[in-house]
Parts: sequence; C-alpha cells; structure tokens
Amino acid sequence: MSNLSEQGNRKQDCPNKRECFEMLQLILDGEATPKQKDTFLNQHLEECMPCYRNYHLEVAIRQLLRTKCNHSAPQDLVEDIKRKVAQNLAR
Amino acid sequence: MEEEVIRQQYSEREKLNIFNQEFMPHINSMYNFAYRLTLDADDAKDLLQDTYLKAFRFIDSFQQGTNAKAWLFRILKNSFINDYRKKSKEPSKVDYQEVETFYNSDDVDRQITPDLRVEALQDMIGDEISIALNSLDVDFRTVIILCDLEGFKYEEMAKILDIPIGTVRSRLHRARNLLKEKLSEYARKMGYKNA
Repeated sequence: MSNLSEQGNRKQDCPNKRECFEMLQLILDGEATPKQKDTFLNQHLEECMPCYRNYHLEVAIRQLLRTKCNHSAPQDLVEDIKRKVAQNLAR
Repeated sequence: MEEEVIRQQYSEREKLNIFNQEFMPHINSMYNFAYRLTLDADDAKDLLQDTYLKAFRFIDSFQQGTNAKAWLFRILKNSFINDYRKKSKEPSKVDYQEVETFYNSDDVDRQITPDLRVEALQDMIGDEISIALNSLDVDFRTVIILCDLEGFKYEEMAKILDIPIGTVRSRLHRARNLLKEKLSEYARKMGYKNA
C-alpha cells in the first residue's frame, strides 16, 4: 500500500463514482482481472480520496465479518455426525 | 434446475474417504452458514446433521475432485428452504424486481458514500456486526456470507442459490448497503459523527 499521507495528492471528488464502486466490489470479490486490479489499486487510489476511503471501509467491514461472524461447529456435533455415517456404512 | 448428473459407483471405502477428506473439512463453514440461516443453535445443529447425512446418502452424485464445498452448500441451502424456512418468522420475500434494477437507479450515488468511518468499525469490538448481519433478510445475509465469509465466486453462488449471476450481484449490492446502514446507526449511537 502507498506511503502517501492520507490527503497527499488525492482529489476530493471522484468523476466515476458509480464505475469505481462497481470495480471496487469486483476487486474485493476476486472477480476483477489483474489489469483491472492494478489500474484501480495502484493508480486510481493514489489520486482519488473518496475511492481511497471507500476501499479501506470495505476492507474493514470484511475483516470485521471474518473475525466476528465465524462460528465453529461444536465438537460433539462433529463426532456425532462422523459416528452416524460410520453406522450407516456398517448396516 | 435439473442437471445431467453423472452417477458414480463408489466402493464403501471410497465413500468414506470422500466423506472424510472432501466433506468433513468444510463442517465449520457449513455450521456457520446453518447458524446464520436459522439463527438458532439447535436448528443449526439439526440442519447441519441432516445435510451431512444427506450428502453421504447421495454421495454417488458427487464427482470426486470437483467443488465439494459448493456442492455441500447447495444441499444445505435446499434443506433449509424445504425443512426450516417455514419455521422462521421472516417477513414476506423481498421484491427482487426492485433489486435487479438497483444498479441503475439514482439512489446509487447516495448509497456509494455511506455515513461510516473506518475508526467506528475498529471500535466495534462487541456483537454489533453479528447483530447487524442477523437483522438482514435471510436472502441478503446469505449472499454476504457466501461471498465475504466463504469466498465463493459469483458463478458458484449462482449455482448454490439457483439464481442468475446478475441477481447475485444486485443482491450483494443491496445487502452490503443495508449492512452499512445498520453499521452507520451503531456508529451514531457510539457517538461518531458523520464521515
């Protein structure tokens, strides 16, 4: 990521808000091409303050989801399921 | 959606191998999904168990080496709809016609710049995001889970959910905005001013 200060040389307004927003989602969803990623992340984000902010916001939300919204299966349930399947086979 | 299913004829040992090596590794993700669908720990356990037993019963429909996770998630989602969704007190289905055209509406500009700051998110150390996610309609929280938590691609999600890719994307778009609105509410309650 860039070492520029937050403001740096970034413009305060984005002329392609809608397209940029779509592109951001495509990138974070793993659906963008390497070229699209490069252009957006390494070029556009360096020049555009709203997109830079949105990028960090979207990343932060996903991180929050991953850390806070992941439950593991209870171990006794896992054992139960394995056992039932083994029993199924034994029949 | 009926697909041409190539039925395998696995030996018992092969079945057990597939089950242990290709199905069991996804059990935590599957439990998480079951829990987010049912919002009830007991129902989640039942749903998970039903799904895995079903997966074993129909293991001959699974082609070894293909995407087991997507296959399993599809079974789970169908089991949920058939056996558990009736139980829930969800309001009637969202109008998806409205959702499909969302990308083109003038509201998009307003939605793009949410009232939310990264700092506020970093301070959400409790259950705020979990509660916010659970408050969404089941179809909206489903797409967020499949995409953001489980890393499925749009095409995989389309197959799991039996909907067109365009619907996957517009549903994601709407779901994310709803989630952000909820998070903005929390941020305001926590004392953060507008971004």
